[in-house]
Amino acid sequence: MSWTEFWIVLVCCAITMLACRVLPLFILKGKELPPAMERALSFIPPAAFAALVANDLLAPGMFDAGLWPAAIPFIAGLAVVLVALRTKSLLWSAVTGVVAYALLLLI
Amino acid sequence: MIKPAHIKDAFHAAVPIMLGYVAIGIPCGILCNSIGLNALQVFLFSALFYSGAGQFMIPNMYLAGSPLASIIASVSFVNTRQMLYSASFAPECQGVSKRLAFFFAATVTDESYGVSTAKFKEGGWSVDRALFVNLFSQSSWTLSNVVGALVGDALGIPLNIAAFAMTSIFICLMVTQKMTSANIIAIVLTVIGVYVCKLVGLTGPAILIGAIIGVAGAMLYSSLRERKAEGPKPHVGNGAAEETCEEGDRL
Repeated sequence: MSWTEFWIVLVCCAITMLACRVLPLFILKGKELPPAMERALSFIPPAAFAALVANDLLAPGMFDAGLWPAAIPFIAGLAVVLVALRTKSLLWSAVTGVVAYALLLLI
Repeated sequence: MIKPAHIKDAFHAAVPIMLGYVAIGIPCGILCNSIGLNALQVFLFSALFYSGAGQFMIPNMYLAGSPLASIIASVSFVNTRQMLYSASFAPECQGVSKRLAFFFAATVTDESYGVSTAKFKEGGWSVDRALFVNLFSQSSWTLSNVVGALVGDALGIPLNIAAFAMTSIFICLMVTQKMTSANIIAIVLTVIGVYVCKLVGLTGPAILIGAIIGVAGAMLYSSLRERKAEGPKPHVGNGAAEETCEEGDRL
């Protein structure tokens, strides 16, 4: 990637990112939230994290290489779920996930 | 005024994120280095753009030969989820200075959003503490990325294994949500929505569209339940349930 390409990507992505991060907060700031909106906001965290997990784990062609390669991330993910529910720790979840995933790839 | 005790609180809350960012930041720097970005460029990306998912997507798409416009559009699309986080912090930022609110909002990530949301819910938390959580996290992310770019591929960490650290963090944040029936509906509909989006080729906006379907479904479910509690006619419930399906298709 050349410096010109780098600047184009950086400036465009940084501007849209800053707008997404800052504008909603300042548009809503100081106003009473309608109850329906408050309820919608409470559903955002589970939906957003589910979307990120699904985006990482699910893909249309994931069974093309066979059942076992497709199952590895799910088994490692299940281990993460158990550790996450027990410890509620991001760090232990990350360590468990990486170790489980690496070990399953070795099998 | 910046209180040292607040910085200490923030550091304790930020440690898990910081360590997680070392684990995913180094591979991200290595990946960026593999498309010819040097340490300074990787530093600028981390300092000015600061997006884990985005900084992984850019080299991945560049390596796949995507045109710049397509990279920018896809990354920006995926990052629109930040609007949801930003909106959710509006109540906490009432009454704090504009500058503090700006710098806090400008440095929120998926992980620091999760930690800050939990801390605000626990109580005894404040926007200045939350800003320092963000800054500690960003420092760790930036340093790790620069280290990754400097060592290049000399470390030999397989990128898919390292990237699973990020997936694990998202799984933890998801399953530690309060599992009410409405939240479970939001999660299930979102997962289906993301998969369907990818199936029809909408890979870029899959996260955003999936999450909107989940939130819309949970909203409909909870308003239906409220109406049921007030004793409505059964026909009303059925009609609305059909609308849910139609809306899901439209989205």
